[in-house]
Amino acid sequence: MKHKLISTALFAAFLISWEVFSRVSGFSELVLPSLSAVLATLWSGLTTGYLWPHIWLTGVEMLLGLATGCAIGFVCGVVLGESVFLRRILYPYIIASQVIPKLALAPLFIVWFGFGMTSIVVITALICFFPLLENTLTAIQHIDPQKRELFRMLGATRMQTLLRLKIPAGLPVIMAGFRVAVVLSLVGAVVGEFIGGRDGLGAMIIASQGMMDSPLMFAVLIVITVLGMIFFQATIWFERWLLRKHITGTEQ
Amino acid sequence: MDFVSLQKVTHTYRDANGKPELIVDGFDWAIGEGEFHCLVGRSGCGKTTLLKLVAGLLQPDSGSIALQGQPLRDPGEQVGFVFQRPTLLEWLTVAENILLPISLKRKPGPADHEKLESLLALVGLSGLADRNATQLSGGQQSRVAIARALILEPPVLLLDEPFAALDAITREELQDDLLKLFRSRNTTVLFVTHDIREAVYLADRVAVMDRGQLIRDLTIPLPRPRDGEIRYSQGFNDLCADVRHAMDVPA
Repeated sequence: MKHKLISTALFAAFLISWEVFSRVSGFSELVLPSLSAVLATLWSGLTTGYLWPHIWLTGVEMLLGLATGCAIGFVCGVVLGESVFLRRILYPYIIASQVIPKLALAPLFIVWFGFGMTSIVVITALICFFPLLENTLTAIQHIDPQKRELFRMLGATRMQTLLRLKIPAGLPVIMAGFRVAVVLSLVGAVVGEFIGGRDGLGAMIIASQGMMDSPLMFAVLIVITVLGMIFFQATIWFERWLLRKHITGTEQ
Repeated sequence: MDFVSLQKVTHTYRDANGKPELIVDGFDWAIGEGEFHCLVGRSGCGKTTLLKLVAGLLQPDSGSIALQGQPLRDPGEQVGFVFQRPTLLEWLTVAENILLPISLKRKPGPADHEKLESLLALVGLSGLADRNATQLSGGQQSRVAIARALILEPPVLLLDEPFAALDAITREELQDDLLKLFRSRNTTVLFVTHDIREAVYLADRVAVMDRGQLIRDLTIPLPRPRDGEIRYSQGFNDLCADVRHAMDVPA
């Protein structure tokens, strides 16, 4: 409770000093718009409905990219975790695909998939893929050897060992990867829109830059931050729900 | 006929560089039906490896292991195994953990739940069935692990230092409960431990192992049922001293 109070006070102090500084410093509105101007732009953007389609589009791109990337990353993590053969053969390629800055691939995707949603979803998915793959792979390879022996003693099939031991036991580590993916997915969607989007919040930032409309740019940044925090908080709740059985009580 | 028999069992471990190390060296042993045997030895003498060989988790390089006259191949239902740590699945309840051996084969039915209830009563965990496994104390977790190993009613029970991490009082309670279970079910038991007093208290026969070899075979003539008082008797202490001296081999 005390921490929340201090945190809120800090936020208020930040907002007030922003407003005061922008008024007394004499910077032009292009460099540092005042908080009140930004909020006015944000308010009109929200009330006139001008911002909503962009928020919606970025949100959908982010969710589609996140879902696709995480699903593929999880499946690949499980397959590579189970097969030493495939791991040896494919892992160097996966590393290579990840050390390429994915945003540098964006122009290529625009050539392949055109401007707009598809390209951005693909970029976002590619970014979300790796944390899920890496964490799933790590999680299912590092299962307590005694528990594996237990499943062998009980005559469990490979599928049973995977579904009833490795994945549940690895879930906390897998979810940590998912949390990283959620944060990266917003970056992927917004920056993808910088390059390949006509609409969406990222495209709006580029547009506001072109129009030298700094208050709008700040308003969009605030929207992106809030969107990110909503998604992150939802992830935390989802994780807590999913791991509710793992975290009741502590290890003795 | 012997219930469990080991003949000239040898097992070699190869490290990452392929350098072989002899872990179990020509081990002969036999356990009659319904007997309780303990295997003692220092850390690293190969006793856990031997137990895993009997469980079928490892294969001997040479020699043979037979259960009820049948050569052992793979781990199976006829053997229950209790590991050094309770190895409970943290995301399951106590009941789900104990029923795991059944639920891996089929959906547990009413008869299985009855068996679960009676086992919970036997190990003193009645009323805790729906608790999460991690909410239990160390001793209770060990009890769950024993109940899980017994749910399929295996004729042979193997235990690998199951009480090593518990405090002395809890350990004694668990030893007594294990003896009670053993008496009520006519299970054949092989119990590995480094605790000499534990071995003498529990066993009909004690095997002392050193560097992969059987170095002493000792029958424990103490009467059953045993209770805590016997631990302070002269005969008990003489037997402990006997085992202890057997372990004093020049390095």
